[in-house]
Amino acid sequence: MPYEFEEILETIKMTEIEHFDIRTVTLGISLRDCVDRNLSISKQKVYEKILKYGKNHVKFAKDVEAAYGISIANKRVSITPLSIPFDMLKAEEFVELAIVLDKAAEEIGVDYLAGYSALVPKGFTNGERELIKSIPYALSSTKRVCSSVNVASTKAGINMDAINMMADAIKKTAELTKDQDSIGCAKLVVFANAVEDNPFVAGAFHGVTEPEVVLNVGISGPGVVLDAIKEAGNVDLSNLSEVIKKTIFKITRAGELMGRSVAEKHGIPFGIVDISLAPTPAEGDSIGDILKAMGVEDVGAPGTTAALAMLNDAVKKAGLMASSSVGGMSGAFIPVSEDQAMIDAVERGNLTLEKLEAMTAVCSVGLDMIAIPGDTPASTIAGIIADESAIGVINDKTTAVRIIPAYGKKIGDTVDYGGLLGKAPIMYVRELNSMGFVGRGGKIPAPMRSLTN
Amino acid sequence: MRLNEEELRKLTLIAINELGEKASPELVKKVISKTVDKMGESQDFIKPQSDMTSGRIILTAFGLNKSGVVASITSALSQFNCDIRDLSQKIMDEFFTMIMIVDISNSPKDFREIQEDMSKIAGEMNIKIFLQHEDIFRSMHRI
Repeated sequence: MPYEFEEILETIKMTEIEHFDIRTVTLGISLRDCVDRNLSISKQKVYEKILKYGKNHVKFAKDVEAAYGISIANKRVSITPLSIPFDMLKAEEFVELAIVLDKAAEEIGVDYLAGYSALVPKGFTNGERELIKSIPYALSSTKRVCSSVNVASTKAGINMDAINMMADAIKKTAELTKDQDSIGCAKLVVFANAVEDNPFVAGAFHGVTEPEVVLNVGISGPGVVLDAIKEAGNVDLSNLSEVIKKTIFKITRAGELMGRSVAEKHGIPFGIVDISLAPTPAEGDSIGDILKAMGVEDVGAPGTTAALAMLNDAVKKAGLMASSSVGGMSGAFIPVSEDQAMIDAVERGNLTLEKLEAMTAVCSVGLDMIAIPGDTPASTIAGIIADESAIGVINDKTTAVRIIPAYGKKIGDTVDYGGLLGKAPIMYVRELNSMGFVGRGGKIPAPMRSLTN
Repeated sequence: MRLNEEELRKLTLIAINELGEKASPELVKKVISKTVDKMGESQDFIKPQSDMTSGRIILTAFGLNKSGVVASITSALSQFNCDIRDLSQKIMDEFFTMIMIVDISNSPKDFREIQEDMSKIAGEMNIKIFLQHEDIFRSMHRI
């Protein structure tokens, strides 16, 4: 037999017991040719283009799931950052376009479509300013549209004016969606160093350097890594790193195979595998549990940041060996609401906003799905975004803030979205004033690191 | 029949190339309707393509041992014209496990149909049967 008994059983165990699944296959579609002077023709072109490429997306993904016995949790679509092709639109017109996107997403059967975005690290065009103004209204009048704005980059510095605008947009979105625990904010990401081929919603968009249409895949598999670490028992850290690498290698190979198969069915190019470990609220599918299995008593204990750094590095090394098309974020995600062990740590008072911020310096993304009191001032949110952007810009990595100032909620309350978004306890935010700093506006100049030539 | 903008543009170019200076409303109509008919015939729908690169699948079955387990699986496979290339079977106490490599490239049934039939057998015999494409094992365990 060409395969060992153990190898076959291991694969079955991964897929059947350890929740190994592919987190997302994301179809990136360029909308750059959908512009027309007449808005209603633009809307029709956008709708038709998404349907043209996306109509079989869910079906193809399901076929591949059946063939390999590995499930694909999400089938999604990303589009060109909307402010780029439609720079001439006004805020109300952007909202009309968002409603069309929502309809197209529903028609092809995907739960989220991302790319209601603007890229403004160095400054705004008129359209970008209008798009940012329209975000709260777009997110409150649609279900499936996700928005992101890149406000900082290592090459251009940090745009504090954009951060202030985004802090206001987040507050307004929370208010407009207050009936659903401010869910609009769960669909809004503020980035530093955003990547163009990220398949993970809500921060996905189809970058301007991408082809007409492309298929990217995001793997998952915290459960598999967790079991491997538990099985390894009491080994030293270098050996533990080896265990993680071996597991991630296999996951990445399976992820790439499935992504390529879906792309082949579409007849479109395959883009990248994003090897990020992404948790879900399901039992055992948690990054927090991995950190605990590595040896810290709870997430937030001294040593947590080092454990996360090692995990993140092992993930990258194994992923790079396994595939030549690694891209996107490719690290470990630490969202609070989507990870049961993180929720528990916050509820027990072991994990604070400051510790989370430190953790984001060594893994992918940033302060993700964090609920804070609804009366947190916009200037404090701007301060949080500025801190996170600084970590990203100085360390030449992607960071993001997806924060929910839950309208009308206080410490001790929780927001609960169910499903993949999970639930988040309201976290304490320091009540010190940041207005004097963020209120200065302008730009933090690009760092030394930007001059690499 | 609804045409998108790209198709309309193509049609216009065809008409211009064919008629040039001679274009008159009737001639244009004739050329266009001829081209549209041709387009209808060669509708570029996405053709169903096989995702099988090796045509082989790995079947894993396990559960409480009872008489006829192997027979029910293999007889179903032979009915579908599937070729068993390798088989390994172990019985540990009252449990049995069986792993088979099956070539389904000559089968009239496709992967999904075989999967459905096997899940029926699994239900009847009260065992678990997993069917997965060989590629997944090759990519995960072989460099």
